[in-house]
Amino acid sequence: MPFSSSTGAGQDVGRSCILVSIGGKNVMLDCGMHMGFNDDRRFPDFSYITQNGRLTEFLDCVIVSHFHLDHCGALPYMSEMVGYDGPIYMTHPTKAICPILLEDFRKITVDKKGETNFFTSQMIKDCMKKVTAVNLHQTVQVDDELEIKAYYAGHVLGAAMFQIKVGAESVVYTGDYNMTPDRHLGAAWIDKCRPDIVISESTYATTIRDSKRCRERDFLKKVHETVERGGKVLIPVFALGRAQELCILLETFWERMNLKAPIYFSTGLTEKANHYYKLFITWTNQKIRKTFVQRNMFEFKHIKPFDRSYTDNPGPMVVFATPGMLHAGQSLQIFKKWAGNDKNMVILPGYCVQGTVGYKILNGQRKLEMEGRNTLEVKMQVEYMSFSAHADAKGIMQLIRMAEPRNVLLVHGEAKKMEFLKQKIEQEFSVNCYMPANGETTTITTNPNIPVDISLSLLKRESVPGALPDPKKPRIMHGTLIMKDNSLRLVSSEQALKELGLVEHHLRFTCRVHIQDPHSEQDTLNKIYSHLKTVLKDSSIQHLPDGTLMVESILIKVSTASEDPSTKILLVSWTYQVQDLRRILLKCIIQSHLAEIS
Amino acid sequence: MEEEEEDRLSNDELMDDWLIESIKLYNNLHAFELQDPTKVIEWTGEKSICVAGFKSGGRSEILELTLPQKLCAKEDQGLCPERDFKMEHGGFSERPIYCLKHVQGTRLLVSSGPPDNSLQIWQIGVDDSDVIRLLNCINNEEQNNHWSKIATSAAGSPCVLHGTHVKNLQVTEIESTKNVFLPGIASVDLVSSLEFLSKDAFLLCSVRGQMWLMDMRQQKVVAAQDVCALPAEDFYWCMGVERRQPDLDAVPCRVAKLSSTGYIFVSDVRNLAKHMCQTKVSIPSPVAENKFMNVSWAPALDNNIAVSGFSGSIEIYNITSWHSTDTEACPMFVHKGHTVLEDRDKGEIPLVTAHTWHPWKPRTVLSAATDGSLQVWEWR
Repeated sequence: MPFSSSTGAGQDVGRSCILVSIGGKNVMLDCGMHMGFNDDRRFPDFSYITQNGRLTEFLDCVIVSHFHLDHCGALPYMSEMVGYDGPIYMTHPTKAICPILLEDFRKITVDKKGETNFFTSQMIKDCMKKVTAVNLHQTVQVDDELEIKAYYAGHVLGAAMFQIKVGAESVVYTGDYNMTPDRHLGAAWIDKCRPDIVISESTYATTIRDSKRCRERDFLKKVHETVERGGKVLIPVFALGRAQELCILLETFWERMNLKAPIYFSTGLTEKANHYYKLFITWTNQKIRKTFVQRNMFEFKHIKPFDRSYTDNPGPMVVFATPGMLHAGQSLQIFKKWAGNDKNMVILPGYCVQGTVGYKILNGQRKLEMEGRNTLEVKMQVEYMSFSAHADAKGIMQLIRMAEPRNVLLVHGEAKKMEFLKQKIEQEFSVNCYMPANGETTTITTNPNIPVDISLSLLKRESVPGALPDPKKPRIMHGTLIMKDNSLRLVSSEQALKELGLVEHHLRFTCRVHIQDPHSEQDTLNKIYSHLKTVLKDSSIQHLPDGTLMVESILIKVSTASEDPSTKILLVSWTYQVQDLRRILLKCIIQSHLAEIS
Repeated sequence: MEEEEEDRLSNDELMDDWLIESIKLYNNLHAFELQDPTKVIEWTGEKSICVAGFKSGGRSEILELTLPQKLCAKEDQGLCPERDFKMEHGGFSERPIYCLKHVQGTRLLVSSGPPDNSLQIWQIGVDDSDVIRLLNCINNEEQNNHWSKIATSAAGSPCVLHGTHVKNLQVTEIESTKNVFLPGIASVDLVSSLEFLSKDAFLLCSVRGQMWLMDMRQQKVVAAQDVCALPAEDFYWCMGVERRQPDLDAVPCRVAKLSSTGYIFVSDVRNLAKHMCQTKVSIPSPVAENKFMNVSWAPALDNNIAVSGFSGSIEIYNITSWHSTDTEACPMFVHKGHTVLEDRDKGEIPLVTAHTWHPWKPRTVLSAATDGSLQVWEWR
């Protein structure tokens, strides 16, 4: 059941936090911060779970899909300020990178904006102590009923989709994922795990994304144009994330075009990046893994470590500098020096939080107030580029096709009715599609499979030799279901009776068939006998001493009708168990006599 | 798997090469992948277009998409990171959509496609939902199993001009489904293109290249152009009308006629009998039918024409450089994006199915191809 999730329409602004109740367990999926708000609206509203106090007893576990702040930004708030001491799960790269971003974010919010109702550095540390890191495709037992498994999601380093399973019911939460591999990450992948529900963002289903290549082209073009006219390009980046990808891109481009302008990288960046990418090499794509053996993808030929003194060097250059939102440190220093020249350019590859210089210039502000009442006039070109790798309408269809869920749940923040989308998904995959709004609860009925043991003898008896079971042609089998203690067993009726100490009742039926036959009773009987012998070759047909014919266990006796000697009465007697044989038998007899007559 | 991986890597390199080259060729370039290919790109507003599937056997989707912010920004384009199309509305059609027209000023669409010549009327966004719903059907007085060509007019009450053959053309009022005008032109040829020039006049072109300008007020054909005197082959023709101003009574307007062998003739609409200029454009090979043939005028540039449907590329020509049909005209620009940019199974070269110009951004074109690609590009 979705608890609370809101995404800005088509933008990278939003917050994810979903609560699922499955098989009696409560799981929180992501705990994001809404970057668009400055007040309490940026945190998820935990009063949905409980009005007062700690969440520990209400949640069985918390799962974080990746390190973006709109998915993990409120985690320390939830665990330390609201209160939660249970397990928190995320992948290894996420666990390594989350605290760095949270701390960066905290610094901006508290130090720069002077906020008070915010988590502290110590809280971040305490929160991370509660985190258990998981590997891809590793089934993690949260308790004896709840298990989770992470799948590769692409998108950013360490991003995962999670399968949550309780007994025979399961849910897959996609988080943010991407279906096309890029320069340093692979594409999302999941097996045909057939979960009861797949939970995903509806933004994906309604966007048709511009190709990665065209985004990259735009970036290269802007950098190239600036450098060609002798200008300098500043690219503020976080320590991890976009930086590595853009570096690989520029390196390739510089090599191809034989360009000479220098590219620099803040020293801190290379070391950290190399460290993390080496650590998490299995999380990158095939190409990088292959070349890593021969050459470290993050050791560049054209990209050199930056020194502060280079800032004043004449001529064109490109610099990647931290931090990413131009809110402090080296990137801000460089910006101040280069902002006044219209030949220069600053490219912001990601969202900037309110209050930062990055945010201001992205909103068109051209005059900034710096410390000491100094005004900085921004003449340099400002470019905002989005590189985030998200799936789109086509991608979500691919994912649903891979996982084969029974239901699809799309979470969205918009109020608009999405009837077309719902129909499209429902028809393409024959599944139910739900689209609850913020605060709405959706209940999905599942059809859990109940495993039953079948006795070997029954299986042998009921199976057709040589033929495999065909799911399209179900066969009815006869047996008895015994539910005893915690086991469910399917056994043959005889065995069931034996186990229960009961005796089987026998029911014997009799019917009279009138046939026209002027011959003697004995002759009629013999005729029937011969006919049956030819037609029912596999059955045992015997003449009994008392003049009765016995076909398997069915008895046939012939007598003459008192009113009409040419009419014979066949007395047919059979037990309940041989209904089918009786039917065939009667048909044969009637047929034989019709043939005779004609 | 190894070989596949190798192929993908070298394919990546080829794409990278083209992309780097494209930096010099294009100001803007966007590449998208639709779930199903479309052969219509119809503007429904300044910032929205409609596309629709045309596969046979099964449902087709009609989608209304809003243009990425970046393409709509008139200034400060650099501050818009949004490069994606957004699906605003969608609908399902039981038949493939071969022709789709929007009725200006309304939320109505008119479509046609096999198996017969009836029209389907759709409403976009009923009851504030995201559905494009089928409202009604309009039948031609003469029913047959060809698909109708369409032109719409919103002047007065929304009307649609439609028909399969020149002789069965009719103008039907959409709401009442009553015929308001029957041109009654006695030609058995199939219709190729239809276009309203004003609320009372429309231009039509047959597959053999004959054109008629009809004035509904005067109830007669006021100008006509005969079949071209070219070597008799199985030519197919289509036309594109220049639309520079909303009020066409004031400004002379031109029409370009394109043949399946690459001939283009330009005439003034008010003087159809004469050709103003002509040329032959280079095409890989003549097309067997006019399935995807398209010729159009740039609304924000002078004398620029775009031609597509013969291959995976779109050619832009400046007609002032045309002299005669003896020398082949050289395109000003060729867009090859559809043949290079997409990952695809080897051997399948896509064919451009449709193209349209951006209403006010000069040199900006939207194009679609048989592999489902949709590209928006602005050349330098």
